[in-house]
Amino acid sequence: MRRILHALALITLAGGAWYLYDPPWVAGVTSGLRDWEEDPPGTRFRWTNGHGSFYVPSDVGELTLPMRAVFASSDGKPVRVALSVDGRWLTNIDLLNPAEWTYPRVPLPRRTSRRRYRRIDVRVSRVTGFYNLGVELGEAQFPQ
Amino acid sequence: MPTSKQFLWLVALAALTAYVAIYARSLASAPIRSDGYSYYVYLPAWFIHHDPTLQAVPDDCCGGSFPAFTSIVRWPGTKQWVDPHPIGVAILTLPLFALAQLLTWWTNLPPDGFSLYYQHAAGLSGLAAFLLGLWFLRRLLARWFRDGVVLATLATITLGTNLFHYGTFDSAFSHAFSFALIAALLDVTDRWWREPDWIASLQLAVVAALLFLVRHPNIVYLIAVPLWNPSGVWARRTTLLRIAAVSALCVSPQLLIYYRATGHWFVSVYGQLGRFDFRSPRLAAVLFGTQKGLFFWSPALLLAVAGFFISDPLALRVRTAALLCFAFTAYVIASWSDWQFGGSFGHRGFTDSLAIAAVFIAGLFHWTAPRPRARLAVGAAAAAACVLTCAQMVQYWTGVLPIADTTWTQYRELFLRFR
Repeated sequence: MRRILHALALITLAGGAWYLYDPPWVAGVTSGLRDWEEDPPGTRFRWTNGHGSFYVPSDVGELTLPMRAVFASSDGKPVRVALSVDGRWLTNIDLLNPAEWTYPRVPLPRRTSRRRYRRIDVRVSRVTGFYNLGVELGEAQFPQ
Repeated sequence: MPTSKQFLWLVALAALTAYVAIYARSLASAPIRSDGYSYYVYLPAWFIHHDPTLQAVPDDCCGGSFPAFTSIVRWPGTKQWVDPHPIGVAILTLPLFALAQLLTWWTNLPPDGFSLYYQHAAGLSGLAAFLLGLWFLRRLLARWFRDGVVLATLATITLGTNLFHYGTFDSAFSHAFSFALIAALLDVTDRWWREPDWIASLQLAVVAALLFLVRHPNIVYLIAVPLWNPSGVWARRTTLLRIAAVSALCVSPQLLIYYRATGHWFVSVYGQLGRFDFRSPRLAAVLFGTQKGLFFWSPALLLAVAGFFISDPLALRVRTAALLCFAFTAYVIASWSDWQFGGSFGHRGFTDSLAIAAVFIAGLFHWTAPRPRARLAVGAAAAAACVLTCAQMVQYWTGVLPIADTTWTQYRELFLRFR
């Protein structure tokens, strides 16, 4: 009986590990992002904190990520947004005009794992206000 | 009727179900919030960013400064961050944090210390502390009372106070951890006075240190150790000194953190967050007021007041320490500018010491056991108080009750309304 219980526990552990390596719900996981809002013209966006993360399908080769600073940096420098994929730095984007949307196109490097989704990290050089706001991020666009 | 042991399993099941419901139905935002943030923040700073100064955390999330709600402040002289909340909760959260770290890497979630697995590592650590506290409490009471009394006491303290709320809804706060440690202190103290072997002595030292590390004012509860058996203290003075030395060693990392950040071995930043006015404490409001009154929101605790006057053998060992701790806690809370302790269900300043209240409730139940009329009256009162508290807890969870400043008019209008 004890052997059977041990075997069942081992199978459950292995099954759990296999499932959690690439779970489908990762597509909807975010960290450091507020809820979706809508600009008056109908542009959907969400505020980041200083560091926000979200996921895109792993077969995406290029990403367009609309962003807007809204508030300038207190030091007068452009707000800098650093993008990385699965923890690897990709590029820095300087938002020169805080009021304007910027649409940077970012090629993603070849994937190195068999996961279905890749993590995009957004790090902002300054945050503002009580709610710790970074930049507004629009919906990521990529060729299907 | 279940046994008290079976009751613990039922509470565990109910608490897990409630925890899942709270987050699945978005009744609360992520577990690491409000005070829970500043208790937890040491873990990402130490183990993800390898930065004991904490600076790397706001650098990563918040443009270099902690948000105001965290109450983490820069020390005026050194400009280093000082957290108003000590490291104890973080230490007790460490096992599940380590598991979260492993799973985060495995699933490729954001390794920022605040993504999904980390959030629930913190939340479930508090839930586990709540259950562990009940386990210690049961073990103590089972040595002094028959199982029916233990069962009734555990049910009353779990369902008739805000303990279940702080074990589930706000589980990343310090209260579930303090409750567990004070329950452990009573249990270990009882065993240590019966048989002062080195294991019990070491347990006492570690529990005493953790109590201080979770919340510094908790140190007042340590007077329960000598007052358990005052006439025996002199004979055990050497062992007590050794226990104190081990405890001091265990708390030294906290003192080092303070020294490194401020140049002082012990500091409190509460002076920058509010003020004490010891000349006009708001005792009536703290104990009976509609805003956060202890007995108003947890009327089951009136049973502990009645039990206080019963000369039960266990209650006699705890009585003096309980009185001193309660008077100290109530006076300090009532003198603080934010005496409501912000948003909370009931008064969370007393949740930590509910294990002590349980001793007196058990004494009362034990006293009523051979007295049918008293048993009926006390049992009915306890059941009614538990039903009322649970109903109000659900009202709080669903946003029907305000999180603070409840007035009598509001309370009457909202009484047992669920929409």
